[in-house]
Amino acid sequence: MDLGLDRDELDKCVQCALCLPHCPTFRVTGEDARSPRGRIGLMRAVQYHDAPLSDQVVESFDTCVQCRGCEPACPSGVRFGRLIEQTRETLVGAGHRPPAKLRFALAALDHHRALLAGSTALAVAQRAHLVPSGLGLPESLPLRRPTLEPSGGDVHLFTGCVMDAWQRDVHLAAKQVLEAMGVGVAPTGAAAPCCGALHQHAGMADKFRGMAAATVAAFDDDQPILVDSAGCGAAMKEYGNLLGTPAAAAFSARVFDIDEWIALRVDDLPHATPLEISVAVQDPCHLRHVQKVHESVRTVLRPFVRELVELDDDGLCCGAGGAFSIVQPELAGLIRDRKTESIVRADADLVASANPGCSLHLQQAGHEVAHPIQLVARALSGVGT
Amino acid sequence: MAVLEKLRKRGAGPAGTRDRCVADLVAALGAERVHNDGAARLLASTDASIFEGGVAGPVCFPDSTAQVQACVRIASAHHRPVVARGAGSGLTGAAAPLGEPVVVATTRMNRILEVDGANRVAWVQPGVINLDLSNHLSPMGLHFAPDPSSQPVCTIGGNVANNSGGPHCLALGVTSAHVLAIEVVLSDGRVVMLGGLDAEPSGYDLRGAFVGGEGMLGIATRVAVRLTPNPAAVRTLLLSFSDVESAAATVGAIIAAGLVPAALEMMDQQCVEAVEDFCHAGYPRDAAAVLLVEVDGMPGGVEAQAAKVEEIGRGHGAGIRVAADEQERQLLWKGRKSAFGAIARIKPDYYLHDTVVPRGRLVEVLQRIYEIVDRHGLLVLNVFHAGDGNLHPIIAYDSREEGMSEKVREAGREIISVSMEVGGVLSGEHGIGVEKRDFMPLMFSNTDLDHQARLKSAFDPVCMMNPGKVLPSPHSCADISELSRASGDVWG
Amino acid sequence: MRRDPCSDPVLAAFAAEIGPSGPVTIKGGGTHWSVGGGPDPTARVVAAPEGIVKFQPSETTVEVRAGTKVTELHEVLAEHGQRTSLPEDPGSTVGGALALGWSGPARLGRGLTRDAVLQIRYVGSAGELVTAGGPTVKNVSGFDVCRLMIGSLGTLGCIADMILRTRPIPELEVWHSVFGIDPADVLQSCATAGSILWDGSCTWIMNAGYGVDVEHDLAVLAEISAKAGADRPAPADPPKLPPHRWSRRPSEALAMGPEDGSFVAEIGVGMVHVDHPVSPPPPDEGSVLVQRRVKQAFDPDSRFNPGRRVGGM
Repeated sequence: MDLGLDRDELDKCVQCALCLPHCPTFRVTGEDARSPRGRIGLMRAVQYHDAPLSDQVVESFDTCVQCRGCEPACPSGVRFGRLIEQTRETLVGAGHRPPAKLRFALAALDHHRALLAGSTALAVAQRAHLVPSGLGLPESLPLRRPTLEPSGGDVHLFTGCVMDAWQRDVHLAAKQVLEAMGVGVAPTGAAAPCCGALHQHAGMADKFRGMAAATVAAFDDDQPILVDSAGCGAAMKEYGNLLGTPAAAAFSARVFDIDEWIALRVDDLPHATPLEISVAVQDPCHLRHVQKVHESVRTVLRPFVRELVELDDDGLCCGAGGAFSIVQPELAGLIRDRKTESIVRADADLVASANPGCSLHLQQAGHEVAHPIQLVARALSGVGT
Repeated sequence: MAVLEKLRKRGAGPAGTRDRCVADLVAALGAERVHNDGAARLLASTDASIFEGGVAGPVCFPDSTAQVQACVRIASAHHRPVVARGAGSGLTGAAAPLGEPVVVATTRMNRILEVDGANRVAWVQPGVINLDLSNHLSPMGLHFAPDPSSQPVCTIGGNVANNSGGPHCLALGVTSAHVLAIEVVLSDGRVVMLGGLDAEPSGYDLRGAFVGGEGMLGIATRVAVRLTPNPAAVRTLLLSFSDVESAAATVGAIIAAGLVPAALEMMDQQCVEAVEDFCHAGYPRDAAAVLLVEVDGMPGGVEAQAAKVEEIGRGHGAGIRVAADEQERQLLWKGRKSAFGAIARIKPDYYLHDTVVPRGRLVEVLQRIYEIVDRHGLLVLNVFHAGDGNLHPIIAYDSREEGMSEKVREAGREIISVSMEVGGVLSGEHGIGVEKRDFMPLMFSNTDLDHQARLKSAFDPVCMMNPGKVLPSPHSCADISELSRASGDVWG
Repeated sequence: MRRDPCSDPVLAAFAAEIGPSGPVTIKGGGTHWSVGGGPDPTARVVAAPEGIVKFQPSETTVEVRAGTKVTELHEVLAEHGQRTSLPEDPGSTVGGALALGWSGPARLGRGLTRDAVLQIRYVGSAGELVTAGGPTVKNVSGFDVCRLMIGSLGTLGCIADMILRTRPIPELEVWHSVFGIDPADVLQSCATAGSILWDGSCTWIMNAGYGVDVEHDLAVLAEISAKAGADRPAPADPPKLPPHRWSRRPSEALAMGPEDGSFVAEIGVGMVHVDHPVSPPPPDEGSVLVQRRVKQAFDPDSRFNPGRRVGGM
């Protein structure tokens, strides 16, 4: 079956295996079929040699977290993210649809108001113990969301979908820090309800393109668009390539991760007494492997905490992977166990993660996690530890 | 992917016995540890080489010695061969399964069992990744010395099977010098301990014989590795030359001056240019050859060695750059380590060779390699361990071009012949596997090969461990032509 | 290209002398003639050829006949500032040293005897000449039959000729001794310690390396001594080693005490030289089985060195 993969891209892999240790699913299973090299081997088998699309082959593709940790490790420069996205897109087109619970969840994401209302309803239900624990939801959904008012028009703060519903406090912290730098902030809210990254991962490419186009159209000025979710930022920086229009390219060029943007202006940050805590920095994959701006988290955070501690797992994925932890809970748990071991070895007071998915996933394992921008905000407010 | 076409054309083979073997494996290990589906078998049929003749049977993922033992016993009861597989990063097809064997993947046997700093030894399972081990040891100021280029992925079990080397083996020796004891499952399922942790274990050195056995002697299930203290100081120099002869002469002069650098690597102009295009390490593009020299040890000796290297280099007309700090040192090494990436971006395929020649013949052999590839209209880049004469010519090509693969293989054959002519050996660190099996008569007489077969038979008298590798017909205990006519379809 | 060993008349003559049948024992310097049990007196005694065939300082390799004395070999190598890791027992031959497989008391710095071996030519049980290993400093071509010959006490084949890896002789090598310090401190603190010997009260240290580094470590050594309330280390000759060997783990060597009799322990290595014979622990049963199969495969008629046995057999 033709997976629609670019032949040059597919042929680039020389099977050297250097990607294997950087693949979270290979790390926890030891199976070739759970590695980038193995997945490419199966893509070739299907596309070139008409190998059957057996359950195990589909599962091999489905179990990719899409962390892209294999890409920096690849000497041949294989863009594995593109291969697996295309593969999933083709499979979805051929009727291999994502699991029902994922489709149901994704369908809600670009309906901002409904999502917020639904989340509140879920929070109520959760407190009444009506929500099963295996859904990958945060243990305590917020019942109430503080309001997020605009304070100017210097930058847009992209608020997104789930994050706005569940982690609006991160947006508030981002806004607070930006304002402390003298920057007026315009939260996007319902104007740009969802970036589509999760749809893209699930192989729902048409949906993703639609959401990308809508998002691009929602910003008709030239102001920078700051994103405090690494996964959303990575997707929005891809719009230019994806849509191929000058407008989309211009849009992507003004998308910045919030840490990336602040790191370039770190001198504008006011001084504050550092928090008396040591912080382990967890690099979200889409910040480190895709946007490659993970160092900026350290630049921004370093003046505001007592100590930064590096994890010793070479940036291996935590297993959150957008919706991965919902559709592959068992693998996601095993991958998180590895991350947990590394966090325990780091022996810090707190984990900083610049991605909401990672935060939720790690919090569910009992880690205390904050967005780096929240720590900066906390230090600026002089709230101590 | 010729393997797949081959597989699809074939019939299902004697399904009955195959199924019973799988059923027994599942009963012993549990279904989760036995993968008999087409995807798992297809992917276990190859390693990182360009060899394509393997066909894997059921792929097992044991996590203990007892489970490996069960795999071997069940395979034996069903007259199936056994092939151990680590990361699958080998370059000779040594882990490519011939004769549809039971594949024993060691990737889940990845625990560091014990680190004994006082005795400078660690017990590890065979699936532990080489670099993971050294990273684990680094807070104690220790490391495992062999550092092959595949270090981030290759396993200790694979290192034992291949007697792996790496740039830093020039001073410290290859894997054999860093393995004290090995627990092995033999082909009859017996667990034996080879070597020991004491100073001089008694008896024949079965440990030494097992290292480099390419999985044909048994399966290592626990390995005691020697730990090496990290050096107190290190200095890295980049020497650039306007001709290859001077670079090679400098290598000889450094060794003759009584220096044993920690690493002594050479790159030719084609390689330097590719690397610079790729990663901008600041290597001089106009140099005909560069040497990357690293000296380590105590600070005083490091100073003395670095000064001597500089002096020798200048005497041979070298331009010299000394890494001023760790950052610059990393940059220089980045150039060396990016070589494969740089090459992979020139052409989609490469064939990486591995022979050793006397240091004094390096120039001559390089010239002849250039002649060979020119004659075939191919592109070659040389990046290699000059300090021990270990050549790694890399032929970059595109296998999609008609007749190209055959041309590349032919050039490879000629490179091997040239290396042997000047008194070299077939392999410095990759091993023989399938790739060089049929070249063994270039290096060894029938008598020599017969004695190697005796070693094999002492460990594996029934010839079920990784059959068809290393020893050519008629010295192989396996029927190689029969094995190559593999039976079965991975998707069957 | 492969050199046919039979084209070497010296080796061919040696092979012919051994021939295809009858018990044979090969004698080197006879310095360790009783290790593994004395040889059967009915066996024909042969001596390996002598002489250095080819020394290439810039290749750091030397091809040498098995009957050559280690001290003679080292004299020639020393002219180019090199040597091998083989111990320099007076009178012993390189072939004998390999057949015995022992490393010397300076192995901490010089390395193991077995790691010096690149290639061995030996005569097999049918009188055939066999080449194991290869001539270059790095080689992983085929099974490593050399390893079996090292320490085999000549029971698998008669070693005729070998290629050894040479190493540079350090710029400076000095022995000192001092009473009353913990030898483990020396191991921990002196990277130039090429040998640390300890008899329970006195520690002998050989520092080897670049002059500046050795000087540095001697200062460290003086510090260790001062902290322990001991005298300053004094230049000394290495001690005479008691006659019997007790192969132990490094940590066990450090735990030796008066109850073990008089001893000299190699610190960091584990070899302990004692005044009474110590029987080694029972070997691993499975490994004995493989050893028997090795002997059977290489010397099916048990004609090589009858009467002598390697440990555990």
